[in-house]
Amino acid sequence: MSLTAKQMQGREALLKSYNKRLKDDVKSILDNFMEIVKLAQVDDETQVSRLTQIEEINFQMNVRASNMVRAAESLMKLVADVKQYLILNDFPSVNEAITQNSELFRTKSIEADKKLLALRDDMAADLFELEEDYYSSIYKDNK
Amino acid sequence: MTEVCVLHDLLQIVKEKRYMVLDAVQGVHPEPKQYLQFLALKKSLNNAANILLNGADRLRSAQTDVTRGRQNSDFHIELLRLRQNWRLKKVGNIILGDLSYRTAGSSFKHTGIFEVTKADEGQAGPNALSVPGNMSPMSPIQQNRPTSSLKVTVPAELEGSAYIFVCIRKDEENICNTRVQGLPFVARDGHWQQKLECAQNVLFCKELFSQLAREAVSLQPPIPHLVVGNQITSTIFPGIHLLIALCHSDTDGQKKKIGPGSISTGSGTSITGAVGGASGGTTIGLSKTNHDEVLEHSLHQLLHRTFLSSANQPLPQPVYGPVGVPKKRRIAGPEGVDRNQLLQATKSETILEQIIRQAQHNFLRLRTMYVIDQLALELKDPLIISHWNLFNSPTQSCVRINIVTQGYDSVLRTTLVIQVFEKTLKCICCDGKVMTLSFEPQELRNLLFCQISQHNVASVQCFARYMGWTVLTSENSLGVGSVEPLGNSSAVVLASPTGNKTLAVRSSPTKGVTVFVSSSPRNDFYPSAVVNDRRWENLGGAWHEVRLERMEGRNFLNKIELLMASLTAQA
Repeated sequence: MSLTAKQMQGREALLKSYNKRLKDDVKSILDNFMEIVKLAQVDDETQVSRLTQIEEINFQMNVRASNMVRAAESLMKLVADVKQYLILNDFPSVNEAITQNSELFRTKSIEADKKLLALRDDMAADLFELEEDYYSSIYKDNK
Repeated sequence: MTEVCVLHDLLQIVKEKRYMVLDAVQGVHPEPKQYLQFLALKKSLNNAANILLNGADRLRSAQTDVTRGRQNSDFHIELLRLRQNWRLKKVGNIILGDLSYRTAGSSFKHTGIFEVTKADEGQAGPNALSVPGNMSPMSPIQQNRPTSSLKVTVPAELEGSAYIFVCIRKDEENICNTRVQGLPFVARDGHWQQKLECAQNVLFCKELFSQLAREAVSLQPPIPHLVVGNQITSTIFPGIHLLIALCHSDTDGQKKKIGPGSISTGSGTSITGAVGGASGGTTIGLSKTNHDEVLEHSLHQLLHRTFLSSANQPLPQPVYGPVGVPKKRRIAGPEGVDRNQLLQATKSETILEQIIRQAQHNFLRLRTMYVIDQLALELKDPLIISHWNLFNSPTQSCVRINIVTQGYDSVLRTTLVIQVFEKTLKCICCDGKVMTLSFEPQELRNLLFCQISQHNVASVQCFARYMGWTVLTSENSLGVGSVEPLGNSSAVVLASPTGNKTLAVRSSPTKGVTVFVSSSPRNDFYPSAVVNDRRWENLGGAWHEVRLERMEGRNFLNKIELLMASLTAQA
């Protein structure tokens, strides 16, 4: 029981972490975008020298754009992780697949049995006559 | 007043020049270069946009790879398919799967864990290479599959392919020295499904063999089982052995073991005689001809049955009671079982015992079949026709033998039924006699000879009725004449419709049929002083043997028919 509780707790924590990652990444994209837009406005009054300011803005924009890309890739990774998690832990669908498979195999086995039975009956009928003919024929001498 | 004070303070500060300096106001402000800043910003934005576009391109290309190039082999779709067929779980960052039959009731110690990873672009796309014969003869042949983005890694000891080799062999001196070799294995990177199936098959075979080996060591039959290396040998009949071997061909080790010419193409229970390099013993080449697929299949079935029985244990009652007690044992009252039934229920046969019983039956059935067919070949008259029953079990089968004379089927048909068990044969004759024979083939042969002998006499007796002859006497176990080495001879004496001819037929299992004729009035009657009355000449004369082999006629009954006809005509 304690193990199950622990597992449940772990699962909850994992789901929360997925949620957090999603929010963080989306927030990161949004914030960085906003910052880039803010940086884009021409500022008149500044105390640092113009060249420094330009360099700083350039660098900041690059970093923020890279951050946006990273966040997007992180979102993709999150999607992959969520997919993987769903695939590995979706027991109802696994059960459904197992039921479907077992049904399929059962049907196949019934079909095979039916065919075998039909084949057996046919062969029995033929063999009976063939055996009778063979043993009373001259061909058995040449065996 | 306050304003004046403030002005005074201000003037004082300015005058002292300690805190503040007054400067002249510049007339014209320098024009800030806004267009430069604008251009710089534009360039920065451009850079940022490029970074974003590159990132987007990367994401898009990754996405299109999935949707376009590898439509059928998306990792997650493959993973889903894998999950639908195999047990998987995530431990840390790796995905582990389970090959073992533990949930189905197995208790094998091997974990059977495999690892699932994403195949790299360079590694993706191995094609399944397969060579016929690398699997068990009963396994399906692998087929080529498209590329896969999923890679499974099975433990090294489960790689390759394996099967249980079962055969029945005649006695050989070097039985302990023989070495069983599997066929070479080539395929290494197949589709994951095939790879996992192979690995699971290897695991199953290993479990089966270890179970058999354990049972072979623990059982104590009169002739102990031999467990040497990868094979178990047990004696099923004197001089007949059942050989069970585990053939596991892995990728590296097996190729080294197999020398040229050690693979047999021979048939039957032969040993190729190729000398094995390492041990110096004889090597048994495994070919499909001497491998008994039926027994292999039975072994698989038996282990499956063991799994099933151990997986479906009834719940203990009460809850603290012992596990594994069948429900039947708990039933009380009128439906409860008695002590004997309980004792019977506790006895369970091991897999080895069951397979030995099946092998014994298999061997005995084949031998019975051979004896009957050989006898049918040897004897032209009467004909022996055997019909094997379709409804049989692994340890019991049944054959019906009809003995008829060709052309006279409607006159008489002697039928007997032989039930073949593990070590014995049970014969039920047409007169209701039941005989139990041992596994020796000579016993069955003797019985059939006796039946044929009785059939001959009985058919003559039946045929006499059609011809209007009278049966004077008939005896199945004749007490007169020479003693038969085998069984009893039978005889019948017939009289012609007019009574002047008498026919005696004696049939012996070993010497065949002899026919005698006597006629009355006797030709050699001479009145004497003692017997002078003529009526005594009506007594039957001396018996003359008929040389059947020189008579015309297709078979014995045909000859008898001709003989009867001629004797009747003479009258």
